[in-house]
Amino acid sequence: MAAWDLSVTVEDLGSDAPPVTISVASDLHVGGVIVKLVEKTQIKRDWSDHALWWEQKQQWLLRTAWTLEKYGIHADARLVFMPQHKPIKLGLPNGKTLQLKACFSNPVFQTVMGICRMLNIRHPEELSLLRPVEEKKKKKDKDLAEEIYDLTEVPLSSVSRPCLYNGMPAHFADSEQMEDVYKMLSITQPPPAPEVIAKQYRPASVVDKAHINGRWLDSSRCLKKQGIQENDRLWLRFKYYAFYDMDPKYDVVRLTQLYEQARWAILLEDVDCTEEEMMLFGALQYHINKVSLTEPQTLSSSAALDDLESALMSLEVKMEGESSSASEMILSSGIVHFRPKRLTLKGYKQYWFKFQDTSISYFKSKEESIGEPIQQINLKGCEVAPDVNVTAQKFLIRLLIPAPEGMNEVYLRCENEQQYAQWMAGCRLASKGKSLADSSFQSEIQSIRSFLAMQKTNSGSSNNAAASDESINTHSLVSPRYHKKYKPKQLTPRILDAYQNVAQLSLTDALMRFLQIWQALPDFGLSYVVVRFKGSRKDEVLGIAPNRLIRIDLGVGDVVKTWRYNNMKQWNVNWDIKQMAIEFEGNVNIAFGCVTADCKIVHEFIGGYIFMSTRSREKSDTLNEELFHKLTGGHEAL
Amino acid sequence: MDDIDAMFSDLLGEMDLLTQSLGQETLPPEPLRSPKQEIDFSIGFTGLNASVNELEDNDLDALMADLVADLNATEEKLAAEIQGLDVPPPSSSSDLPPPPKGLSHQPTSSVTSPSSPGNNYSNSVTTPSSSTASPLPPPPPQSAKPTMEEIEAQLKADKIKLALEKLKEAKVKKLVVKVLMNDGSSKTLMVDERQTVREVLDNLFEKTHCDGNVDWSLCETNYELQLERTFEDHENLVEPLLAWTRDSENKVLFQERKDKFEVFKNPQNFYLWKKDKKTLKDMKDKDKELLVQENFCGTSIIVPDLEGVLFLKEDGKKAWKQRLFQLRASGIYYVPKGKTKSSRDLVCFIQFDNVNVYYGKDVKNRYKAPTDFCFVLKHPQIQKESQYIKYLCCDDAWTMNLWVTGIRIAKYGASLYENYKTAEKKAAVSSALWTNRSTPSSSSSSTPSPTIKAKAPAQANGHAPKPQAGPPLQGIGNLPPPPPNDFLPPPPPDPVLPPPAPSLASKPAPQRQQPSDLPPPPLSMDSLPPPPPPPPMENSLEDPPDFLPPPPPPTSYSSLPPPPPPAAGFGRNPNQSLPPPPPEPEFLPPPPPDPVILAPGAPPAPPPPPPPPAPVSIQRPAAQPRKMPPVPPKRTTPMLSGGGGGGGGDFMSELMFAMKKRTDQ
Repeated sequence: MAAWDLSVTVEDLGSDAPPVTISVASDLHVGGVIVKLVEKTQIKRDWSDHALWWEQKQQWLLRTAWTLEKYGIHADARLVFMPQHKPIKLGLPNGKTLQLKACFSNPVFQTVMGICRMLNIRHPEELSLLRPVEEKKKKKDKDLAEEIYDLTEVPLSSVSRPCLYNGMPAHFADSEQMEDVYKMLSITQPPPAPEVIAKQYRPASVVDKAHINGRWLDSSRCLKKQGIQENDRLWLRFKYYAFYDMDPKYDVVRLTQLYEQARWAILLEDVDCTEEEMMLFGALQYHINKVSLTEPQTLSSSAALDDLESALMSLEVKMEGESSSASEMILSSGIVHFRPKRLTLKGYKQYWFKFQDTSISYFKSKEESIGEPIQQINLKGCEVAPDVNVTAQKFLIRLLIPAPEGMNEVYLRCENEQQYAQWMAGCRLASKGKSLADSSFQSEIQSIRSFLAMQKTNSGSSNNAAASDESINTHSLVSPRYHKKYKPKQLTPRILDAYQNVAQLSLTDALMRFLQIWQALPDFGLSYVVVRFKGSRKDEVLGIAPNRLIRIDLGVGDVVKTWRYNNMKQWNVNWDIKQMAIEFEGNVNIAFGCVTADCKIVHEFIGGYIFMSTRSREKSDTLNEELFHKLTGGHEAL
Repeated sequence: MDDIDAMFSDLLGEMDLLTQSLGQETLPPEPLRSPKQEIDFSIGFTGLNASVNELEDNDLDALMADLVADLNATEEKLAAEIQGLDVPPPSSSSDLPPPPKGLSHQPTSSVTSPSSPGNNYSNSVTTPSSSTASPLPPPPPQSAKPTMEEIEAQLKADKIKLALEKLKEAKVKKLVVKVLMNDGSSKTLMVDERQTVREVLDNLFEKTHCDGNVDWSLCETNYELQLERTFEDHENLVEPLLAWTRDSENKVLFQERKDKFEVFKNPQNFYLWKKDKKTLKDMKDKDKELLVQENFCGTSIIVPDLEGVLFLKEDGKKAWKQRLFQLRASGIYYVPKGKTKSSRDLVCFIQFDNVNVYYGKDVKNRYKAPTDFCFVLKHPQIQKESQYIKYLCCDDAWTMNLWVTGIRIAKYGASLYENYKTAEKKAAVSSALWTNRSTPSSSSSSTPSPTIKAKAPAQANGHAPKPQAGPPLQGIGNLPPPPPNDFLPPPPPDPVLPPPAPSLASKPAPQRQQPSDLPPPPLSMDSLPPPPPPPPMENSLEDPPDFLPPPPPPTSYSSLPPPPPPAAGFGRNPNQSLPPPPPEPEFLPPPPPDPVILAPGAPPAPPPPPPPPAPVSIQRPAAQPRKMPPVPPKRTTPMLSGGGGGGGGDFMSELMFAMKKRTDQ
């Protein structure tokens, strides 16, 4: 067979180097071409990751046994010889950027699997890559070079079977730098500065939210084919909101990154919530930040206290409680002003107060405090609300105390911050049926004081970005909407209020709680796409959820129809007219064309969710990749 | 009424004394404690290691013995005194351990045998298994000879554990609660504050020999406010009862409540309520299962998507105003006037942390409500008219049911589903028991009775002394005096086991009379004054008043599937939502994952087979097979021990466990 010249660009020789020309015959297989090529370059190195890319056809020549003829390659083919793994800049859910080598030749689905393996994230099928939203960069910002965490040095082979070392995958244990990377991955980030939140793009409508979904990469095609270049920036995000088998023990990175994604979704109002919910999210963020500072990396520690030990602990506490004289001493020193609400307009009267267990009693004076109190109030089950203004030195505790006749409203006025923090903490605990001897009393006081401190520092301007635990700007914890609505010091008591219910959570529990509340939001898990239904002349929005599709009328802004996947009989894509047709049980047929995203993306979303729902069945941990592609690939996969 | 009051206050006084001596702090005065003991304690337990190392063996033994003796004495008395009181002892709910006083003054060296009547008493209501446990004399702590240091340490640890248990036990509050049956009769139970509603229900199942289906519930009615609600199975019973006022005419009812777990039987009615009636009705079992899984088995509990215009009466105002309300996991919200429904505009109406949801009755009359379908949100402590009670009126009963269930899901979350699963298991066991009993094998029916007999004396002990004082005041508002007294000795009536068997044979018809007839015979066994058959009390509050929970398996209202001839019984019971005693079969097999695989029958792609693989195993059994779930045969024997599990967590078994652990050493 006649030999002809084939010129191949070898990327490693530099972009200016001329193509290497080798003499081949049409029956030479691709492997042979590579051997010849390598010989010709006379460079000794590991070429095992390299492969041929056919520029015109946008195709990898990965089947080394196929001949040039079978591939249909002639002398005019422009081939590039390059590594299959190339560095990319990966934007993580926590906003950090990671540089690592990703596979450019396999379907994105596998690329993501590889990345997740390196980062130690289980269930990679839930994540995917998308093109980032371009940030409007001002000149000023450019000076602050973004910190990039480098993982490109990790040998690809070491990642294949991650073994744990010191609670983290072995490849992170190599150097201090690598450990830092792992810390970045597995520890939550401090609350972002309010300006940072304000600067980010926030979708203002469902249509805005729909646009992001046009950016997902196609899972069944490779990066190279989708025009991604070396060192391009991509985002790694959780795409399918069906988080299977979340186990804090094994999922440190996964949990942390999911939390970060959820946190940003809340802060940027990607998912709507009410004000009360926002305050709770804020409180949880505050708490998570606080706990992760004080108990870093307890995620991996086993919380398995011997039950005897814990029993003894609790006994100890109880015993302390028994000698309530101690706790009494702390608080009975207080002269508290007291006003039962409706009784008088005159304001406050001074009494001598005693705090005991879950009750407060008051006396005319200290001298009489040995005798019968004027009244004793049990605070168990009561509502405690602060009414505080540090600058005005107002320290009120408002108590709503349940009684058979209804709620009694009572105000306690404290003299100063110190007293307020103690009494407030006492009331909070008592309302939950805990006595002052409870181990959480001191930490409760602490948190109240740090919230008070926040009020103080925030009353000036919010530019002291010293992100110490004590001085978090509460604007960092809520979406910009509330920056406008409330001043930081107005926000503080509200967040503190919500904080009471979560203050005792461990880091893991707090993360899980955050995710749970996020998942319980009505709009959780909805990915929007603007579509046009067959026969309709206006754009509408299709919401894709883990278990259903919803149709949203843009005019009304309301859900007009819901279809559940489990009623779905089949779906088709007409690639020519870019239309999806779905048939549901009971002869329900819908068809729509996609406006803001490619048909394939919508197809993949739906197929992907159906794939996710099949997971629970197979107990094995192996990922059924074939099924995924079958469900999401469309014709191109095969 | 006056002398009743007098008696009552006497009793209360007595109880005050008692509780003080028990170390439960009573309201104002702070009982002085002997400081010496406290010091001993705190020394012993300040540090973890210190406590283990410093306490000598004999210290521990003494501590144990003292505690036991102390308990024996006081609890016995207390049990007697407290008896018949629905109303809680007015003790503050302090968490304090027992008075050290008792410890030093009661130097019984007796072994730590768990024979304290108090304990037995509380156990007696639980299960056979616990009663079998008690006879085993646990080895005295001293007997074990520490040969090795580790063993020694372990022994100490065990002793400390026991001591802790004792301490705990000593502070446990107990209430005697009268529970009204559907037939107007009542049962009196001792409930300690650790017991959950589930455990109390299990006791009642034993006492009444009802079928134990999942719908059985304890309900609380508030007479003054005309409210009622079903206790959730995981709640502790004592706590809500403590909120009742002393003169309260509130009641605790034992009834079947279909709405209790309806959401798990027909989740589509709650989660897909917007769909048309027919779709909902035709919902396939596997789809129902899927819905339950989706909403209750994920990382987060999903609250039904509820939204609608309701009438609201709040802040003590008289007027009812309409608002568009929305239910979310975090609370109920409403859309303010002129605003959109978007989440951020919603105004929080109420959050659920501090309120319970109740059904309101007779609201049209009482408050001029637009409809009678009213649910109420209030703090459990509030017992009288108050501006802090919120009334919400719905257009129809179904909407009301939706909201109440939705609120319960939001408030209790995963616990609801766990309750359901537990109830189902329980129902399976008891239905198995019933099918078993119905077969004329004498063995099965005779096994249980001895155990109960064995228990009876203990109960009698605990109960007999001073029954009269308390009961009339509380509980039954309508007919206070006579019946309650007669009811006092009721615990015995439960050994009714023999009768059921015959009655079963004759199936449903005799149901009516039996209940009232049955109690007496068993009583005679225990030489207690037989309670006269109760005058059928009119329970104005109960809708299905003539339904009796008799020894023969009482069944759901409409269906009376007597266990013995299952096939026949079921034939008459096509009602989908009223499962016969054997638990609904859909739930028995571990919910097989849903077959969601679809065929992406895209023209180009080779379409995978449409009907997915999964369902084969669950193919909804046709009516017949459904009735005969594999359960009955399986559970027949385990029933007893299974029942024991139900009482779980009681002190005796803990003790036994500890003892066993030690002997294993």
